[in-house]
Amino acid sequence: MHIHEINPWRTLIAVAIFVVILLIGFLTMPKPLLNYEKSMNESVDALLMSEDYVYPWELEEIIADKPDSIVIFDIRDNFVFGQGHIPGAENLSANTLTFPENIERLKALKEMGTTIILYGEDELQANGPWLFFHQVGFDNMKLLLGGYKYYNEHKDDLYSTMDDDAYYSGFPKFDYADMAAPKEGSELFSDSENKPVEVRRRKKSNIAAGGC
Amino acid sequence: MRIDNLNDMNRNYIFLTIVMLVLAAGTLFLTTSDEPKQIAPEELLQEIIQPSRYVTTDQVAKMIIQGDPSLLMVDVRPEGEFEEYALPGSVNVPLENLLDEENLSYFGVPGVKVVFVSNDDIRADQTWVLTKRLGYKGTYVLKGGINCWMQTIIDPLPPNEDAPKSEFEAYAFRRGAQIYFTGAATLAPDGENVQVQVRRREKTNVAAGGC
Repeated sequence: MHIHEINPWRTLIAVAIFVVILLIGFLTMPKPLLNYEKSMNESVDALLMSEDYVYPWELEEIIADKPDSIVIFDIRDNFVFGQGHIPGAENLSANTLTFPENIERLKALKEMGTTIILYGEDELQANGPWLFFHQVGFDNMKLLLGGYKYYNEHKDDLYSTMDDDAYYSGFPKFDYADMAAPKEGSELFSDSENKPVEVRRRKKSNIAAGGC
Repeated sequence: MRIDNLNDMNRNYIFLTIVMLVLAAGTLFLTTSDEPKQIAPEELLQEIIQPSRYVTTDQVAKMIIQGDPSLLMVDVRPEGEFEEYALPGSVNVPLENLLDEENLSYFGVPGVKVVFVSNDDIRADQTWVLTKRLGYKGTYVLKGGINCWMQTIIDPLPPNEDAPKSEFEAYAFRRGAQIYFTGAATLAPDGENVQVQVRRREKTNVAAGGC
């Protein structure tokens, strides 16, 4: 005699329990703190037409008015932050960005509709984190063009930087082709005091990094 | 009575089958995206906050001069700018074409250092973030970009007289590199673009000839 013939509801009960266990499993599945909300293609497109920047001259008003709708985060080290920062900025060092409490804080700000301005020593330092947070859905995050360096050089008269284009990134500063054009061979042997390049010799790199 | 039982059984089995089919269909929605493989966001952020991806113009110049075969410079500027001037040996992958299959095959080649190049370093850095999200290793960013290349390699300024010795050594190297990149180019006819030997990652479905 088959077991189902004793109690036809037995299968149904078993299935019900099975489904309930599955549901509990799905509902209690740990949610990752961050998820990509832009696909790769969307990320590329967003980058090509991004306008999520803050111009240095815009800071003038933000510093003066201190609006609640804007929070400025300084992602430099705590030590450098202590030596000087944009008034009203909060320190959120890059190496603490991954801390869950900091991500929760950023999420809370996002839900309140607050605009977040990120800046580092130069534009490059905050560029990576800025792009990252855009990929995980923080569309309220803006990047300060020129970084702290540019701000610090012009903090006495930020409005006047409106006509300056030195902080724009992504543009050639020189006519490359002309500048790197062959120098008629005369350069080749003229400067005997300078040692020619030593090639194919592996040695310790004692070359000072250039100031770029 | 017996027939009733059979009906009950059948009904239960049909019900069971339907439940299983619904659950099976549900699993299809677990992975909704057809996105390529990517590293976890937390992992990406961890990579981003480390500055180890930056290489200097001096380092790259040295590698070019030494003919380092592991160097592959990927220029992410628009095509027009690339055609006007590009670093010797670099290949052009404009940001808008980054995700093309053939462009992605430049990355992730074992033993090859991919250095992203742009006018400054912002766009190159952004490209680095995107390729890192896809999990590619061995990618770098030319700090300062071609602007810095012009200032340090093509037209280096002598250091101050009281500068440390290392700066004079750097300057001596840069003068040599300047001759290499500007003077030496006169030896090549017309400065014609040299055909670049490019290594791409091979499709894995090709059976590797074992020896």
